[in-house]
Amino acid sequence: MVDAATPVVTASGLVKRYGEIVAVRGIDFSVHTGECFGFLGPNGAGKTTTMKAIYGLAEMDEGELTVLGLDVRAQRREVNARIGVVPQEENLDRGLTVRENLSMHALFHGLQPDGRIDELLRAAVLDQRAGSRTQELSGGMKRRLLVARALVNDPELVVLDEPTTGLDPQARLAVWSVLERLKARGVTLIVTTHYMEEAERICDRLVIMDEGEIVARGSPAELRSRYEQETLEGVFLELTGHSLRE
Amino acid sequence: MTVPATLAAYLPSPRHAARVWRRELRVFAKVWKGALLPQFFDPLFYLLALGFGLGTYLTHVQGIPYKQFIASGLVASAVMWAASFESTWNAFFKMEEERLYDAILTTPVQVQDLVVGEVAWAATRALIYGTSFLGIVAAFGFVRSPWALAVPPFLALGGACFAMLGITFTSLSPRIELFSFYFTLFITPLFLFSGIFYPLERLPGWVTTLAWFTPLYHLVQITRPLVLGPDALPVLGNALWLAVLTATLYVVPVRAMRRRLVA
Repeated sequence: MVDAATPVVTASGLVKRYGEIVAVRGIDFSVHTGECFGFLGPNGAGKTTTMKAIYGLAEMDEGELTVLGLDVRAQRREVNARIGVVPQEENLDRGLTVRENLSMHALFHGLQPDGRIDELLRAAVLDQRAGSRTQELSGGMKRRLLVARALVNDPELVVLDEPTTGLDPQARLAVWSVLERLKARGVTLIVTTHYMEEAERICDRLVIMDEGEIVARGSPAELRSRYEQETLEGVFLELTGHSLRE
Repeated sequence: MTVPATLAAYLPSPRHAARVWRRELRVFAKVWKGALLPQFFDPLFYLLALGFGLGTYLTHVQGIPYKQFIASGLVASAVMWAASFESTWNAFFKMEEERLYDAILTTPVQVQDLVVGEVAWAATRALIYGTSFLGIVAAFGFVRSPWALAVPPFLALGGACFAMLGITFTSLSPRIELFSFYFTLFITPLFLFSGIFYPLERLPGWVTTLAWFTPLYHLVQITRPLVLGPDALPVLGNALWLAVLTATLYVVPVRAMRRRLVA
């Protein structure tokens, strides 16, 4: 485990270009142990690219990025062994059942499937569907399975890219309660969202991104009071002059 | 664009590659009876149609009964087809439709392990299909040499070679439609012009020269002498050819796949 004084993620001067487009323009941030850290911003703000750099599906062109004290370029296997990832797009294994999705992900981590799989299935309220193919699941069930899959290696950090986008209110509440339970256990969370109320409810600290830059940072309460706004939506409008959801 | 700077980015971990292989085996164990069983019969139909049909009129080729001649060659093509399907359509589906490779790459398994694991699996599947067909050939009484027992490892090698070719094409192919070209312009011509159905020796010299550059020709040059005997020594040269091509290609899919998946 990382001790409380060490940041779980430190990023400085991160830049990512896709051809002519600069997706991330020199951002700095650090995420502390045990907190829920949010990335708020419209589509195309650079949130997903930043998440992917943390979990290994993107490489920044410039800057320094460490996760759990490890350099993401040189120590990718070690980083990935200790983090969990909930991607924006569903990427479950359609050739396998719900249970096998978890046991196979455990195998990729080099872990033997054990009682933990049952525990995760129960926590995700999928124990009745353990033998189903993933395509038979509803959107909310798939998302719960993705979250359960991210937890098979008992990660110290879980990165969730828009974990509630497209979910109905009940399914969203279910995801939030999972996140709250994880946080209570001391797991560090990084969440991207473009829902204000989500950020207000679950994030201890957050950054607001727009066009590849961090335009504001702080706790939800600090941001509201600093910009004299009643909601984060108001903060965002104040900062960028356009609506958060576009 | 990411250019991996270190050798480490190309050095696979056998332990991690084996995890990818085990995933494929698990799925194969579930679906083979339904989806993949028909492919076992493919070479059998060629053997029946050409061996027993054409073979009625054309009894001997190079002093070998025609049925035995093509049966020993079809063992090689069974390997080619199995490895090629697995490393093209199936791999592309996992990469682009399921985004399964994205999920795998968020674990300690990395791109180089993924390529090696997938190639090893496709080679295994080719070994299963090739060996099954060899069993059918033996049941027909078309095996004449005890050296046939040595065939399976070479089928795995040939499978690895075709899998590496397939995964290379997959890693570079922007769209799934292009696989039709791979099969129509590459795999099918190999099937027809690699000495399975007729010997190439009497054809113009450039045909054999061209054939030398194709992997199926070399695999046929391995299976036929081992199944029919007794000329087993040239097998090693052909095996070396396949091994060199497989190893040489390796960096291409690793590099292309990384550029594609870790953007």
